[in-house]
Amino acid sequence: MSQTLAAHGGHAVEAAADVERPPLGVSWQKLMMWTFIVSDGLLFAGLLVGYGFVRIASASWPNRQEVFHLPLIGFMTFLLISSSATMASAVAAAGRADRRATVRVLLLTILGGLAFLSMQAYEWTSLIQEGARLNANPWGVAAFGASFFVITGFHGSHVLSGVVILAITAWRMGAGKSTAGGVELAGLYWHFVDLVWVFIFTLFYLI
Amino acid sequence: MANTTQGTGYRRYWITWFFLLAVTMGMLLLEYVSWPQWILLAVLVLAMLVKASVISGYFMHLRFEKPALILIIGAGLLLTGAILFVLLALDASRVNQLSVR
Repeated sequence: MSQTLAAHGGHAVEAAADVERPPLGVSWQKLMMWTFIVSDGLLFAGLLVGYGFVRIASASWPNRQEVFHLPLIGFMTFLLISSSATMASAVAAAGRADRRATVRVLLLTILGGLAFLSMQAYEWTSLIQEGARLNANPWGVAAFGASFFVITGFHGSHVLSGVVILAITAWRMGAGKSTAGGVELAGLYWHFVDLVWVFIFTLFYLI
Repeated sequence: MANTTQGTGYRRYWITWFFLLAVTMGMLLLEYVSWPQWILLAVLVLAMLVKASVISGYFMHLRFEKPALILIIGAGLLLTGAILFVLLALDASRVNQLSVR
């Protein structure tokens, strides 16, 4: 009987180890973050495909050179790419257990995100002053306003959330409460925000 | 040796940063080029996908993860988006032609 119990106990230990072993070679936390990124990415894919449908179905579409300030948009892209680079550096510094460098570079990343949001707010204000609304705009295609404000607004809210997440991560790292893994997870989210902008920048502002 | 490793890590990120900026500049300069529309579209979409791959591969370290994870994420996002777009684009063209008539 004791042998049977031991055999069952051994099997239970093995089963527990199988449950604890993370799949695909990454930690559970990282896997869940990637799962969230894929689901959120599909959300943006739906919005962009919807915009694509509306645009192709429309007889005309506003000339982007008349509507957007492309140098401003280009600089916003530069800011987001640079903040992604500083975020990657923060993850590297956290991996080396250099808390001060991690916090310093996280703060730089936050600054980049805030600057991006300020410019986005300026762009929105400028278009609203010209008469752009969700259901109308001075360029003759009603769906343009809705597409612009919904897509850029959704992305902007993600940038804002990212800034909040990074601020909390920086504070926790400064207080010695965060791990390198935590910084890496925050980094994945921030890079995802940059990744989405790559698609919005091309499909909405350049094409 | 630790310094070399650190230097290699930072160097990789700054090379990636420079590459992304260079591609972005190239995309913006296409505004001033008078190529046929379909070529501009193809070049812009290709540049967009290259940038996305570089960000996900190097900044998000996806390149160094297991192939199964890369496949799941790549298939989950790019393939789904492409299928959605192709299906809807055909319908959108039909709507456009109907409205023009």
